[in-house]
Amino acid sequence: MLSFTLRRLGQSSVLVLIMSVLVFFCMYIVTDPVAVLASDDFTEEDRIALASELGVDRPILVQYFQFTSNILHGDFGTSFVYNKPVLPLILERLPATLEVAILALTIGLCAGVPMGIYSGLNRRKKITKAISFITTIGYSIPNFWQALLLIIVFAVWLKILPASGRGDTTFLFGIGWSFFNLDGLRHMLLPAVNLAIYKICMQTRLARSGTQEVMFQDYITFARAKGLPRQRIIRRHLLRNILIPIVTITGLELGGLIAFSTVTETVFSWPGIGKLLIDSIHHADRPVVVAYLILITLMFVIINFIVDMAYAVLDPRIRHT
Amino acid sequence: MRINRGQIVGIVGESGAGKSTIGKVALGLLDENAVIESGHIKLDDSVLTQYTEQDFAPIRGKRIGYIYQNPMTALNPVLTIGEQLIETIQAHTDKRGQVARNFAIELLKKVEIFDAETRLSKYPHQLSGGLCQRIVFAIAICSKPDLIIADEPTTALDVTIQKAVLDTFKQLAQKENIAVILITHDMGVVAEMCDYVYVLRHGLLVEHGPTQHILMNPKETYSRELMAAIPRVDKKIDRFLVPGIIQNSEGRDRALTFLNRKVDGQNWEQTAPLLSVQKLSKTFISPATLVSSKKSFKAVDSVSFDVFKGETLGIVGESGSGKSTIGRMILGLYNPDYQTDIDSNVIYRGVKISDLKTRAERHGICQSMQCIFQDPYSSLNPRMSAGENIIFAIKAHGVVSGALAWELAGDLMELVGLSRSAVEKMPHAFSGGERQRIGIARALSFRPDFLFCDEPTSALDVTVQAELLNLMKDLQDALGLTLLFVSHDLAVVRQMCDRVLVMKSGEVIESGSTDKVLVSPDNAYTKELLKSMPRFTFDTV
Amino acid sequence: MNRLEINLWAAFRGHPVATIGLVGVTFFILLAIFGPLIAPQNPYDQTRLDILDGLLPPMSKLGDGTFSLMGTDALGRDILSAVIYGLRISLFVAFMAVFFGTVIGVTLGLIAALRRGWIETIIMRAVDLKISFPGVLLALMLLAVFGSGVDKIIYALIIGTWASKARLVRAVALSEMKKEYMDFARIAGLSQFHIMMRFLLPNSIAPVLVVLPMSISGAIGAEATLSFLGVGVPITEPSLGLLIANGNDYLLSGKWWISIFPGLVLVAMVLCINVVADRFRDYTNPFLQGKA
Repeated sequence: MLSFTLRRLGQSSVLVLIMSVLVFFCMYIVTDPVAVLASDDFTEEDRIALASELGVDRPILVQYFQFTSNILHGDFGTSFVYNKPVLPLILERLPATLEVAILALTIGLCAGVPMGIYSGLNRRKKITKAISFITTIGYSIPNFWQALLLIIVFAVWLKILPASGRGDTTFLFGIGWSFFNLDGLRHMLLPAVNLAIYKICMQTRLARSGTQEVMFQDYITFARAKGLPRQRIIRRHLLRNILIPIVTITGLELGGLIAFSTVTETVFSWPGIGKLLIDSIHHADRPVVVAYLILITLMFVIINFIVDMAYAVLDPRIRHT
Repeated sequence: MRINRGQIVGIVGESGAGKSTIGKVALGLLDENAVIESGHIKLDDSVLTQYTEQDFAPIRGKRIGYIYQNPMTALNPVLTIGEQLIETIQAHTDKRGQVARNFAIELLKKVEIFDAETRLSKYPHQLSGGLCQRIVFAIAICSKPDLIIADEPTTALDVTIQKAVLDTFKQLAQKENIAVILITHDMGVVAEMCDYVYVLRHGLLVEHGPTQHILMNPKETYSRELMAAIPRVDKKIDRFLVPGIIQNSEGRDRALTFLNRKVDGQNWEQTAPLLSVQKLSKTFISPATLVSSKKSFKAVDSVSFDVFKGETLGIVGESGSGKSTIGRMILGLYNPDYQTDIDSNVIYRGVKISDLKTRAERHGICQSMQCIFQDPYSSLNPRMSAGENIIFAIKAHGVVSGALAWELAGDLMELVGLSRSAVEKMPHAFSGGERQRIGIARALSFRPDFLFCDEPTSALDVTVQAELLNLMKDLQDALGLTLLFVSHDLAVVRQMCDRVLVMKSGEVIESGSTDKVLVSPDNAYTKELLKSMPRFTFDTV
Repeated sequence: MNRLEINLWAAFRGHPVATIGLVGVTFFILLAIFGPLIAPQNPYDQTRLDILDGLLPPMSKLGDGTFSLMGTDALGRDILSAVIYGLRISLFVAFMAVFFGTVIGVTLGLIAALRRGWIETIIMRAVDLKISFPGVLLALMLLAVFGSGVDKIIYALIIGTWASKARLVRAVALSEMKKEYMDFARIAGLSQFHIMMRFLLPNSIAPVLVVLPMSISGAIGAEATLSFLGVGVPITEPSLGLLIANGNDYLLSGKWWISIFPGLVLVAMVLCINVVADRFRDYTNPFLQGKA
């Protein structure tokens, strides 16, 4: 187990390193902050002064090392657009994204897994076919279009939920959360549902196919032959086995949540890191984009690492090789 | 069928006979699309065939126990064996907590698993097959059932383990007065275990009677064929007395002419061995990780032997003995450990093939050395037709081309007893035995002198095995082939081979003529192997 | 799965929903191919447009007498025509991306399976790296860095799909290589080329083909999302996603047709492909056929 853990840690660190290199060099090659920030009446001297101020006139390797050492000190640079340090900028928007993502994930798991198991166990019932069809529609509609539909239905026609923005926040541990007051919840509901729909569909399909495969296994037939009550078989034998793929893929799907949060936040004008990213891309605010990429990579690597560990805990065969 | 308390009854048949189905019907374990057309099964007075899922609750595990064929798949890999045993105890008795746990330990002792305390917290993949099967027994008897249905309980186990497990099983059943239905394809097991036997074929009952009668004096044609197909270890007979499959035809003659027309210089007339293996070794190394050191496993340890032209040398041993590894090294699939011993060589036709480096060099010398594989379901390329499978390789080497190649394919098919028109069919349209024959035709396409046969009949039914072994003997006579025959089945080796090597843990522990080694061996291990084989007692020849 | 010849008839008979999906897919593909011949106007031909025709609701008559089934946008472009041309772009991008992504992925996966050792390690580490990053996000980054355009979005999507194919093919190839017919190929002295092309590839490709339709629908969705966000196709060659984005501003003021029609077509197309993809996958799944 220990060797497994150490191996994974090592691989994860390498991954982060490689990503930081790639990101830095990509951004360096393609964007030129001087061209973006300088207004038209800048003279050549002004441009050179600006370049020196931003630090972009030094050799590329020097810039990279400066970049890395800065990061290790927590300094991700200053945003061109907001003129504030980047890391705090991102961190202050992180809670907004996280709370929607967590709510969506919770809804997805709580609704999706039971439906999936039910469909898997009762393959021939009409309701299974109905669930199957609805989930197919659910993940066929692109995320952004779902968002538009939700707005039209709930905000324009029914007028019961707000179409955009974040509501009031309650402060807990110095961070503002929307969970704890009604207005915040009202604003959070549509974005969360938007992300959750795709999640529910995926989880249902996953749980269903997992259940079908497990039910065909010899050990389930043997458990029946042993005379175990059906409930016990489902709870103990089935659940433990399908938990493995569900946990693994849910962990990986967390990345998808973050990815799609860019779309959701754009449509709902939700002030999270996704919207920040899109805006920064459009304004060529290089430091923000670079910092976002690195932080996201770090987050994925950590998530993957946790998933690998969970996988080893759930499946004893992995633990013992 | 009738079974009485305390009786051990065998249901015997080849694949497709329906024997497993009967076992499953009794417990209502068949799939939804299975329909009982007529007849019934009664346990005492309860009519099981009319039961619904709920009705089975007091039967399954309580009055009828079930033993699965493959213990590794019957147990849930993510739960400990203790959990799986104790949950059954809790389902059928009112023992709970520590009482249940103690009972579990008692049960494990009954099936002769010692050190039971520690085993309870192990997972199935950490234990051997034999151990897992004993645990499955323990689970089956925990509620003192009236009847146990055992579906091929020892097929997945080695011969020596098989005997121990069966002995335990028989003693336990007799002591606790449990009736047993033993479903198997192995007549030897039936001979040792059962009082009464039912012979099934394609879902029909062919014959039944006390075991001795069926073994000695079967009345029906099929039963006779079945008994005649069983290889005996005590006496070598020329051919199995099963219906022949070869018909004389033009194609067959053409094939024989082609195969006997050797390439120049190919005839090995010398008295030196055709194949000489000297001090061959193979060590498998698993690389060091951060916390464990390098692990090495010596699969083959300095093995030497010679094979002379025209003879059949057998290599016999249990799984893990290294017998397959030797063959793979000779054929070039594995690299032997040369560095450790400079005297280590493989010499074929006088050439040290261990020294050959390029593919072309090796192919030049070794193309007359071919292999017959074990698994009929993975030895043919599923995307090529039978004919393509046979001639693809020789076409690729430019030995024959175009239309001639197809004709050769057809001829070879006829030579091995298949119809010429089947040459375009895909492998999945053939049965296991037929696929093995296509494999033989494929090996023959290279006009080999030397055939390495890696357990070619282990995956086949007994009657199909007999046909195939007859075929191989016919081909050997007609073509002067030299065979290196690997098997775990002593009886098959007795029938096919002139000389034999007995292997254990990578070493040759005894060698000699089959008449000597397999009848009155010197080595203790060989003696044990022979003893462990389920035997018939043949009073008459 | 040993049969590459999927019996279309057997696969779809008795599954009305999937059959409708198949018909739908065929319809959309034909529409895309013959689009310019069918569309009432070429919406990108500036000379034909009349701004006085702008923002007309569906079923209105245009200035030059033609009938607009789906209404017009702010510049007087007929939405139906825009949708047909947008469909062409959407499908073109998706098919190109998935085709090349699959070719690259399968090749790399086979190489990784055949040539164990450091080549395999590099390829598989790259696969791991890519897979741990969600495809849409990665494409977003790439387009942000390198700019937008039809070719650029195809490249970005290729980078998004190759890794899963490589991993799939390698896993199947590794298990096929353990089979005895591969041993025969080596013993028989066949060249690596023969082994790869005639023995390994045909037997490893089946699972990839089964997931292809799902990949295509995913690519269509991804491209639509990226175009919607403004980093995808350029304004001169709008795909359905971009059309939806363009119409977004008019949604709340009641001019729904500019955004809704492209959206409906997009959803219908993706849904049809997914329904067909599901049917394919279930048909070839040995568990569901009752044989294990």
